[in-house]
Amino acid sequence: MLNKLIPKELLEKNIRLYMFIILLAVAALMLVLFPVPEYKGYIDPFYSPTILVLPFVGLYRLTCYAYRKDYNRHIFKHPIACSVIGRLDDNKRGYTGETSGIFKIENLHRYFLYSAIAILPFFYYDLYISMFYTGSFVLRLGSLILATNAVLITLYVFSCHSFRSLIGGRKDCFSCMHGGKSIKRVYDSQSKINAHHETLAWASLIFIIFVDLYIRALVAGIPIDHIIFALVL
Amino acid sequence: MLMEKNRIKIRIYRKDPEKDAKGYFQEFDVPVEEGMVVLDAVNYVTEHYDQTIAVRWNCKAARCGSCAAEINGMPKLMCKTRIDQLGGVVSIEPMHAFPLVKDLVTDVNENYETERAMPEFTPKEEKEPWIIDEMDVLRSQEFRKCIECFLCQDVCHVIRDHTTKYIGPRHVAKAASLDMHPADSLDRSKILTEEKGLGYCNVTKCCQEVCPEHIKITDNAIIPEKERAADGFYDPIMMLIGKIKKRKNGKNVE
Ligand code: SF4
Ligand code: SF4
Ligand code: FES
Repeated sequence: MLNKLIPKELLEKNIRLYMFIILLAVAALMLVLFPVPEYKGYIDPFYSPTILVLPFVGLYRLTCYAYRKDYNRHIFKHPIACSVIGRLDDNKRGYTGETSGIFKIENLHRYFLYSAIAILPFFYYDLYISMFYTGSFVLRLGSLILATNAVLITLYVFSCHSFRSLIGGRKDCFSCMHGGKSIKRVYDSQSKINAHHETLAWASLIFIIFVDLYIRALVAGIPIDHIIFALVL
Repeated sequence: MLMEKNRIKIRIYRKDPEKDAKGYFQEFDVPVEEGMVVLDAVNYVTEHYDQTIAVRWNCKAARCGSCAAEINGMPKLMCKTRIDQLGGVVSIEPMHAFPLVKDLVTDVNENYETERAMPEFTPKEEKEPWIIDEMDVLRSQEFRKCIECFLCQDVCHVIRDHTTKYIGPRHVAKAASLDMHPADSLDRSKILTEEKGLGYCNVTKCCQEVCPEHIKITDNAIIPEKERAADGFYDPIMMLIGKIKKRKNGKNVE
């Protein structure tokens, strides 16, 4: 039973994997132990709407095709590089790909996509709050950062390969469908951002960590925020 | 820019399976000319030093796919790889994922067998002539650019480093080109998953990296086939929808 659940890849000695798991566990623990309170209208994206969505967000990224490429290469070394010299993969190492045990979960990426889409509006709501928390409009550096974060995450989520399949990729004949031309146009535009999915995956991850650190710095009293424009009524 | 009097060392893999138990490298000194490609260097060696080196090529224009080799460890076309983009020593080996014929020549026949085993184009029951909209053929056309060099098969770690039933990137691209054709009636994601090991691909994209035709094999063929396979095998909602549709139309959506 257990060996059906745990693929061979997870059983081999792999320092990179242990480090990765420790890193994830420590990061999650830190986020739980040291929550960020709302600070002058800024809500830390890790706690929006609640820290409880973290497992879904985490699984969305873990099953994302972009990160799959990265960890299959750099954590599992299957293979570590495309060059056939020193790629550290060979027949002696067990390999099941995405066919066995918990790795089958990769095939359900779309469900984590749905949860990621459901969370997206909160980023925009937080942006709105950051600009109107006083009752009138105020634009601060932090709001611009939150806006960039929201846009990056939106682009990352909608450039997803499962989304590409959902909006038309699984269809073979657009002209046979009602409104096929528009569907094809949406599909083509999505394909354009899909080509940058890996870049967006990393950019949005790095940025959300930056936003978290920015807000934590403000809470800690470091004066790095600036008012750019305020509407005084 | 490299001057004419520049010289380069090229190391060519030699092995005659009938005589040699092990392969070895032979080193040659070749003058470099501007715009020279690896195949020019190999041809220089066969002309000036050793005519017994086995090498296969036809078009010298990256069209026939027959000069595929491993150049400094990367699967590449010899006729498309410029010497001035490589380092001081150039190592040339055959594609080790396939049985060796001699020296740089391999037997890629297994690929044609795999291709023949793929369910062929099966048109829907529609009256001819088919009228096909341009927007519907563009996707499958990308895969028609394939020159069958099999570099993608050579670089794929599943094909090269493991023994599985995975047929490899070239053949998934072929399946995708048929599946995405608007007049085709089959869905090959089922057979790809059940018999042809699609799940062994871990989307590491080396095939896409080496393809000389810049076909987005992983992004546009493998991942879409994986998504279609998820529709039919893993996603309970899509499986239910599929079943209802099947019952409604009473037709085989295999
Ligand atoms: S993406 Fe898949 S098919 Fe392509 S080289 Fe990697 S494992 Fe092989
Ligand atoms: S898909 Fe690209 S790399 Fe693979 S055989 Fe065709 S042309 Fe060569
Ligand atoms: S000789 Fe034809 S592709 Fe290189």
